[in-house]
Amino acid sequence: MTSPKSGTMSRPRRLVIHETVTSYLFLLPFLLFFVVFVIYPMFMCVYTSFFDATMGREDIFIGFENYKTLFADKVFWIALKNTMVIVLVSVPVTCIFSLWVATVITKMPVAATSAFRCIFYLPVVTGSVAVTMVWKWMYNNYYGIVNYLGTNLGILDKNINWLGDPKYALWCIIIILITTSVGQPIVLYVSALDNVDKSLIEAAAVDGATATQAFWKVKWPQMMPTTLYILVITMINSFQCFALIQLLTQGGPSNSTMTIMFYIYYNAFKLFKYGYGNAMGVVLAIIIAILSAIQFKVAKEK
Amino acid sequence: MKKLLALLLVGAMSLSMVACGGSTAEAPVEEAPATEEAAAEEAPAEEAATDVAAATEITLWTYPIGNWGDQATLDTLLGDFEANTGIKVNVDFLTYADGDDKVNTALEAGTAPDLIMEGPERLVANWGAKGKMVDISDLFDDTDKAEINAAALAACFDGSGAAYEYPLVMTAHCMAINKTVFEAAGAMEYIDEATHTWTTEDFLAAMDKVYAHTGAQVGAVYCVGQGGDQGTRALVNNLYGGTFTTADHTAYTWDDEKNVQALQTLYDMDSVAFDAGIAGGDEIALFYNGTLNVAFCWNIAQQLNPNSANTGENLTANGDEIMFMAFPSENGTDSKLQGGIWGFGIFDNGDAAKIEAAKTFIKYMCDSEKTADAVKAANYFAVRDTAEGADLSTIWADNAVMAEYSVLMPLLGDYYQVTSGWAEARTQWWNMLQQVGAGNDIATVVAEYCGNANAAASAN
Repeated sequence: MTSPKSGTMSRPRRLVIHETVTSYLFLLPFLLFFVVFVIYPMFMCVYTSFFDATMGREDIFIGFENYKTLFADKVFWIALKNTMVIVLVSVPVTCIFSLWVATVITKMPVAATSAFRCIFYLPVVTGSVAVTMVWKWMYNNYYGIVNYLGTNLGILDKNINWLGDPKYALWCIIIILITTSVGQPIVLYVSALDNVDKSLIEAAAVDGATATQAFWKVKWPQMMPTTLYILVITMINSFQCFALIQLLTQGGPSNSTMTIMFYIYYNAFKLFKYGYGNAMGVVLAIIIAILSAIQFKVAKEK
Repeated sequence: MKKLLALLLVGAMSLSMVACGGSTAEAPVEEAPATEEAAAEEAPAEEAATDVAAATEITLWTYPIGNWGDQATLDTLLGDFEANTGIKVNVDFLTYADGDDKVNTALEAGTAPDLIMEGPERLVANWGAKGKMVDISDLFDDTDKAEINAAALAACFDGSGAAYEYPLVMTAHCMAINKTVFEAAGAMEYIDEATHTWTTEDFLAAMDKVYAHTGAQVGAVYCVGQGGDQGTRALVNNLYGGTFTTADHTAYTWDDEKNVQALQTLYDMDSVAFDAGIAGGDEIALFYNGTLNVAFCWNIAQQLNPNSANTGENLTANGDEIMFMAFPSENGTDSKLQGGIWGFGIFDNGDAAKIEAAKTFIKYMCDSEKTADAVKAANYFAVRDTAEGADLSTIWADNAVMAEYSVLMPLLGDYYQVTSGWAEARTQWWNMLQQVGAGNDIATVVAEYCGNANAAASAN
């Protein structure tokens, strides 16, 4: 039997349950999508990494053999080193450059700010293949504009094979990566700067703070969440640099632009070493997770 | 009311998800056999499938082999086929840039097409060896075996006698020179214009003359990737008579001293540079626009339509005359050209009716009175002189370029692209060229990378 009192108590409870169920039902389609396209592939990646898996025969369980092979594979270590160079150079440069550009253009008239935002965002919305092909022409050994300007301005003695020389190829890739990466951070920083509480800036100025002091002591702390987001996204994008390598150098010359992402693709799709490729994917995911955690930790402390 | 609306919305969203899932689940109706054993178990069923009625709709994926990559041409060919057989063929076009990845993904997902058009290096040495293709040896009767070019026929069979490709056309890959520039440089004296051949010594002398005349790089040993690598392989092998594999296609032999000598010669040439920034397609473009004056990646399709630019046969962008050439060899007459063979294979999707329809398609295109149309669409030479009584030997009589190019066909060398571990061996080759170009000790890097290729061959 339900007392009148308990009946009045259960109404809000029923309401909560109904709302909870409704919320989960709304989430269900995305959750299914997430499980099918993210969780399940992640699980399969880890699972397959313990197998000698290839096309045309049953997978053979080999335990940690793929991981042992991986750590003895000198190309993997070259790829890891190249990937780390890309991340360590492109992430700070992208963040610092974006912050500088955003700081400069927010002081401009609104129309100019919008124009620069569009200009810097253009490479982001332009197809990556089109952007890469333009860069390929610019770097061309025989008639590229970089060599043309370099030799005509007396900077270069002779044409340089930018993408075909191990000394330059990785740096050429990094430059393209940075130019295609700065658009979004600039837009985010401009928004973050606009959202900084103006009264705090004015108060700091009244208290005698210089513009530099106001920036680092007042604006910068308020932009930390944006900075953290930019750092994590840029880092992940840098780790996953693939299209540039695939279209321009295919990991060469002499593995000088080989990255882990491209080496995974090469092993899985060219050599059909699915298990080995997945083992590399697991290692890459662990590295990204550790670095992301460090970034969150450092940002939280600040 | 709001709750009702919310529930209806959730229902609709969930239903849409189920609908998406449903269509995805429907695609792989016929699962490919997971193992070679499973494929073998199904073989008797296929043999017994002669009584099975052919399906009325099949799919074909084709790489850009002449006009077999052109929708309008295929509309005519496939329309005729449907009118004659009642079988509709849905076609999808692949590119060499990502076609392999697309096929491999489809194979793993169980959504491979019924038919594919390409060469034995993919159909026999790769997908056939992995148990993904149907053995179509029953399509070759004694007459076919007698009519089809022996090298092309052999390339379509594996060591066990199974056939994974039925050949349609073939050509000999070659190189090309800018004849106008060579004439201006006085280098044509080193070339036998009637046979389109030259000796290694004459090649070196001619390249020096052109280099002296233009003051610029004449040719490039391109090696950014595998695109067009048949040219660099043939160049290196022919200079001093080296080989790439053993005659029985069981091991790679490019570490022999003749190839090392050839690589050293090329590295030492002022007129040639190892370029790890370009592939075969890039080299063709540089040759076409006049930047380079020889191309090591060439064949009849390029001669007919240089750089696929539709600016006229035999001509560069600025109107210079292009002359196709055999790769130079020590005596000039025994050059061994890399063969290109293209035909059809059938993926084993486990559907006997579709396999039967695909076999009907193959016989129609490759062994009937309609074969001439299929060959002409490819812009290459037929692998046989007659098909079911129809004469194929004269189908290019009205084309002067094709007729002239036929002087190279007797130089067609061994089709070694079916050697075990081929996919990895190709990669080792262009990576090795990059190391040579970077100035590393040639004998050492050749031994290392050839060793890697042989390790891959042993592992397969």
